[in-house]
Amino acid sequence: MGDSQYSFSLTTFSPSGKLVQIEHALTAVGSGQTSLGIKAANGVVIATEKKLPSILVDETSVQKIQCLTPNIGVVYSGMGPDFRVLVRKSRKLAEQYHRLYKEPIPVTQLVRETAAVMQEFTQSGGVRPFGVSLLVAGFDDSGPQLYQVDPSGSYFSWKASAMGKNVSNAKTFLEKRYTDDMELDDAVHTAILTLKEGFEGQISGKNIEIGIIGTDKKFRVLTPAEIDDYLAEVE
Amino acid sequence: MSRGSGGGYDRHITIFSPEGRLFQVEYAFKAVKAAGITSIGVRGKDSVCVVTQKKVPDKLLDQTSVTHLFPITKFLGLLATGMTADARTLVQQARNEAAEFRFRYGYEMPVDVLAKWIADKSQVYTQHAYMRPLGVVAMVLGIDEENGPQLYKCDPAGHFYGHKATSAGSKEQEAINFLEKKMKNDPSFSYEETVQTAISALQSVLQEDFKATEIEVGVVRADNPIFRVLSTEEIDEHLTAISERD
Repeated sequence: MGDSQYSFSLTTFSPSGKLVQIEHALTAVGSGQTSLGIKAANGVVIATEKKLPSILVDETSVQKIQCLTPNIGVVYSGMGPDFRVLVRKSRKLAEQYHRLYKEPIPVTQLVRETAAVMQEFTQSGGVRPFGVSLLVAGFDDSGPQLYQVDPSGSYFSWKASAMGKNVSNAKTFLEKRYTDDMELDDAVHTAILTLKEGFEGQISGKNIEIGIIGTDKKFRVLTPAEIDDYLAEVE
Repeated sequence: MSRGSGGGYDRHITIFSPEGRLFQVEYAFKAVKAAGITSIGVRGKDSVCVVTQKKVPDKLLDQTSVTHLFPITKFLGLLATGMTADARTLVQQARNEAAEFRFRYGYEMPVDVLAKWIADKSQVYTQHAYMRPLGVVAMVLGIDEENGPQLYKCDPAGHFYGHKATSAGSKEQEAINFLEKKMKNDPSFSYEETVQTAISALQSVLQEDFKATEIEVGVVRADNPIFRVLSTEEIDEHLTAISERD
């Protein structure tokens, strides 16, 4: 960064003390497709709507939920292209940590470093903030964890959270349904029901994505067939 | 009091508007439409075909130099719809990147990797103020070793998807409506059907019958994965087949 002509920040304080570009970035996130995450007693689940612009799009060419390390996955709401940039940077950060310490990166460290990248783009010259919020799901020696990172670079650990268009309904639903001793399977069912709440059209394994990580500490994205099985159980 | 429109700069460089939009990116999409050309791409069972209008605005122009269809490597083709100068920059960089990939990794750059590279570059222009987004929608086609025929579309916002069929340019939406009807039941087109679907989609949407010199057609086939631009004679054969079929 530090693009020559723009050695000044585009994100500057308004007279009332707000960083308006960050607020606009959050608006962009709020108009993105709904996504959510739930931390269970023995794992974490993250899920998102996968509404594609046309039936002509090959849905197998698109995967919104991504793996950052074998035991950490991430989903977003907001601008897809910005998400790809963050995934690439995070993967590199995780690998650099591993090269230095010969250990897989703890979830909190990766979240902190990713958040630091997002913060840089709110202060550096000639760039705009990222138009995405991330939900990072991981399982390491400290157990299952779920973090949400916002365009400002601030992050919090959540028991359950949602982002995007349907955020208020989804969060209300989750607040009612969440219990501290939930198992991973229950969490998947709850995640599906939450998505179903605000879903326009017929929900199926082809228009949502679900990623889970359990005590095996291996993050994986469910196949459409597996999602359909869970959907049948929920009916 | 929050300053409403970012000091008016949200229309000039890629910073967020109060509604969380990027106006410069939206304007780049308009620039693609303003070029006045429509392009179509169709993926068949074992081939991919792209078609675009060839408008030569002046009789004195050398027609062979007017093209929107560019080979990136022997096996990858790119159809650029929109501003021709931006298209040429993109093609030049893509050619360089594909060649470096082949040198660095020892195998041909796959279609989706090139599409992702183009899309990631476009994303940089949407985030950094010093460069504007390119006014080009790129359709990349090729035969993938594992997944067969592939058609990807990359836009100024940095999105890229694989498509069974798609369109770009001034009549993009009409063409997509036409193609959605044709592809509804997941048909598996042969090579001839693929090419004819693409050409007849363009004809239907622009409501005119073409001469072979008024369109450009590019194909890749699984049995001959080299990206080829069809000659006027071959285009004529397909046009005749379409008119006899109707």
